Amino acid sequence: MLDVNNTTRVELDWSGPERLQMNMGPQHPSAHGVFRAILGLRGETVVDVDAVIGYLHRCHEKLSETLTYAQYPSIASKTDYVAAMTSEFAYVLAAEEIGKFEVPKRAQYLRVIVAELQRIASHLLWLGTWCMDMGGALGGGATIFLYCIREREDILDLFESLVGARLLYGFFQVGGTRYDLPDGWVEQCRHTLDRINSRIDEYEQMLEDNAFFLARTQGVGVVSRELAEDVGISGPLLRGSGVNYDIRRNAPYSSYQDFDFTVPVETAGDCYARYKVRMVEFRQSIDIVRQALDKLPSGPISSRPALKSVAQIRIPKGEAYARVEGPRGEVGSYIISDGSAKPYRMKWRGASFSNLAILPHIIPGHKVADVVAIMGSVDPVFGEVDR
Amino acid sequence: MAAIPAWLMLLIAPFIVLNAVIGMVTYVTLLERKFAARMQSRIGPYRVGPHGLLQPIADALKLMMKEDVVPTAADRRVYNLAPIVFLIPCMLIFASLPFAPGLGVADVNIGILFFLAVSAMEIVGLFMAGWGSNNKYALLSAMRAVNQIISYDLPFIFSALVPVLLAGSLKMSDIAAVQQGSLLKWFIFYPVIGQLAFIMFVVSTLAAENRVPFDILEAESELVAGFRVEYSGMKFALIQLGEYAHMIGSSFLGALLFLGAWSGPGPEYLGPLWFLLKAMFVFLLVTWIRWSFVRIRVDQILALSWKVLLPATLMLLISTAVVVVWRTGGF
Amino acid sequence: MASNSGATEITTVVGAVLRAMAATLKNLFRKPITVHYPDKERKYPSRYRGLLALTYDKDTGEENCIGCRLCEYVCPPAVIKVEMLKAEKRNYAKTFSLELYACEFCELCVQVCPTDAIVMMKSFDMPTADRREMLLDKDRLHKIGLDYEQSWATGNKLRDMQTPPKAPAPAHPKPAAAAAAVPSADPVGPRAETV
Repeated sequence: MLDVNNTTRVELDWSGPERLQMNMGPQHPSAHGVFRAILGLRGETVVDVDAVIGYLHRCHEKLSETLTYAQYPSIASKTDYVAAMTSEFAYVLAAEEIGKFEVPKRAQYLRVIVAELQRIASHLLWLGTWCMDMGGALGGGATIFLYCIREREDILDLFESLVGARLLYGFFQVGGTRYDLPDGWVEQCRHTLDRINSRIDEYEQMLEDNAFFLARTQGVGVVSRELAEDVGISGPLLRGSGVNYDIRRNAPYSSYQDFDFTVPVETAGDCYARYKVRMVEFRQSIDIVRQALDKLPSGPISSRPALKSVAQIRIPKGEAYARVEGPRGEVGSYIISDGSAKPYRMKWRGASFSNLAILPHIIPGHKVADVVAIMGSVDPVFGEVDR
Repeated sequence: MAAIPAWLMLLIAPFIVLNAVIGMVTYVTLLERKFAARMQSRIGPYRVGPHGLLQPIADALKLMMKEDVVPTAADRRVYNLAPIVFLIPCMLIFASLPFAPGLGVADVNIGILFFLAVSAMEIVGLFMAGWGSNNKYALLSAMRAVNQIISYDLPFIFSALVPVLLAGSLKMSDIAAVQQGSLLKWFIFYPVIGQLAFIMFVVSTLAAENRVPFDILEAESELVAGFRVEYSGMKFALIQLGEYAHMIGSSFLGALLFLGAWSGPGPEYLGPLWFLLKAMFVFLLVTWIRWSFVRIRVDQILALSWKVLLPATLMLLISTAVVVVWRTGGF
Repeated sequence: MASNSGATEITTVVGAVLRAMAATLKNLFRKPITVHYPDKERKYPSRYRGLLALTYDKDTGEENCIGCRLCEYVCPPAVIKVEMLKAEKRNYAKTFSLELYACEFCELCVQVCPTDAIVMMKSFDMPTADRREMLLDKDRLHKIGLDYEQSWATGNKLRDMQTPPKAPAPAHPKPAAAAAAVPSADPVGPRAETV
């Protein structure tokens, strides 16, 4: 195994295989957050990956024991801060499952709209940062990054007019949602979706047949179907390897069964397959939001009285595990409640945490440059990994 | 001009050229930044001076005032010499470029050879920088760089030799002179051969300059500035200067070989201006490519060079020779 | 990797390269989306969660805050500290401190306030070089309330939006005030302002 405490200077010996230990440290332009990978290199090929996480641990699970069901959804956004809506979604669904609370139809549709918009925004960030990792901050990658961020700003504007915040929302509440749509939001949303749809056409034009892009992503980081099912990954990582599993289809929550969408599955298992999966998910999410806007029922947005005090929401004793299909995979929240206003125990199942387990299986054998391509296509967010 | 003694000219001309080059290099960085920004739906430097025109000056001042940090375990002599060894060939290539008929520092009759040979010498400085830093990232990057530049110098030379064959001389002003007269005489408009040679020249320049898609050696996302990582302050500025000077030098070479150097409408004294514009066009073309693509891995870069570009340029060169002989009735 | 094993492959590669360059060129001629902040003000939407402030009653000019401490209890990072001052007709807040540097801007305090005393402003512009300036006391909170424009959300409006209607009242409780200032039909939003 790698000796992480080795502080002696290594002389490169040209007479034998050169073994180098390189640290892709926690501060790194492409580590997608704070992530340390100790790579054992032989020349340019990686033979060993030792992943070190925990740099962003903020004791979410302990924190949830001290905050009530009314307070915690605002904090839940901070686990997966890139896709904040889905994190809150999981927590609130678990609480509602224990208490057997009905969520009104309008609230369910609003949740779907918001979750799918968040998926689009998160995938835009994924595409931008992935291309930037592969193409350099001074190069074509930055161009695609800025285009994606430009589009993501439009979605964040939508969220800003709905909720008031751009990144960490506090939109969900046990029993429904906290906010309803303001006037003019539906038109703004449709307009934004049309724009994003045409812009995604542009990105595909720039990337799809691009020889350089294909050279970097095809055949890189292949996850076989058996490996995918063994290691317990989820999300586009899983669907890129041929496993047709999407929680919105297999275990629908919040009225997803009312919507007509396809779940993209690719069999190649490499970075390019995961790219294609996510590009199709873009279009499908846009489609779902359009359907939801068309069919949006009227009615209350919450089945519980409005939040007036901190300990207002009490949930009977019980436990439940609720999961949502986040942009990165299965985000789950397991709550054990003891009948008071605070959970007795809450456990987050972070999608990125389980997805990172695949790295030691697929990185060895690739070159150093592929490490960033693979990390990007796994798309971890370290708020979710370390919680 | 005749009244100035030759030895004085030998002092004045390089002085002027060097200063012009340094001035141009600083402002070319601004041009690149604004151009790239516009392609990315934003504006580049804007606040320093009107529309950012004083930004390069601000950058230069900043770099001059920065602390010079030298890693403790670095090989000091190599580390300190590397920027200079890197910069000198990049400046030296301007010595052989004629900016107008008769206006150049040293328009030697092996001008192209001189240019290509000297521009390849920057590898030494590059590797010295990577080695002297005592840093794994820098070393990896320097090794990749040596690999890449050596591999791409051959297609670079072969594609630069096509205009030499077409003009029949290694002297730069001769090559430019052949292209005077009309637009169609420019070598880029030479049927098939000219266009192919230009494309291969641009691709080889991209690779020899370490520009995306071939900038694996400075891939910030993995190697965080590559061989430059341990340099700060003025030494870093020298390295940047060298890189951009080499870039502009290659642009001038491309304009001279393919775009007719100083030919253009209007009176003769506008010649250098046209030359400059054409060189900027080549530079912007390279910049446009740079900001549109992701980079490829080092083994793919080398595969592209040895398996694709080298045979292609070699065949192009041979077919150029055949065409030239056929056209002059040698068969 | 691209090889010249066939003419069609070369044309695909060249075509793809040109298409990518064409996309970048198209963007070269689009208007940049930069907003020249701070020279140009950013248009904040009506529900923007900006700086926090305490309000006065519009009619009587009295402070709205009754010192009930509901905001203090609901705040997740516990940045609010209130002391109640009892008086004859109604209570007041003796001291009210809010640590803006630790505030999460989650709007829960606004949500629970029974008298619409604490609200958020449509502005975020309070840059400072000293973190101690961000420890807001009651006077500063009232001053912020007078200096900036208030967001749409107040406690009662948020609660009305959430409470299920008891009567066959409006289909869903959509406040009329929201109609006024939604960042409107301009989908590009504040970024329409350019160089």
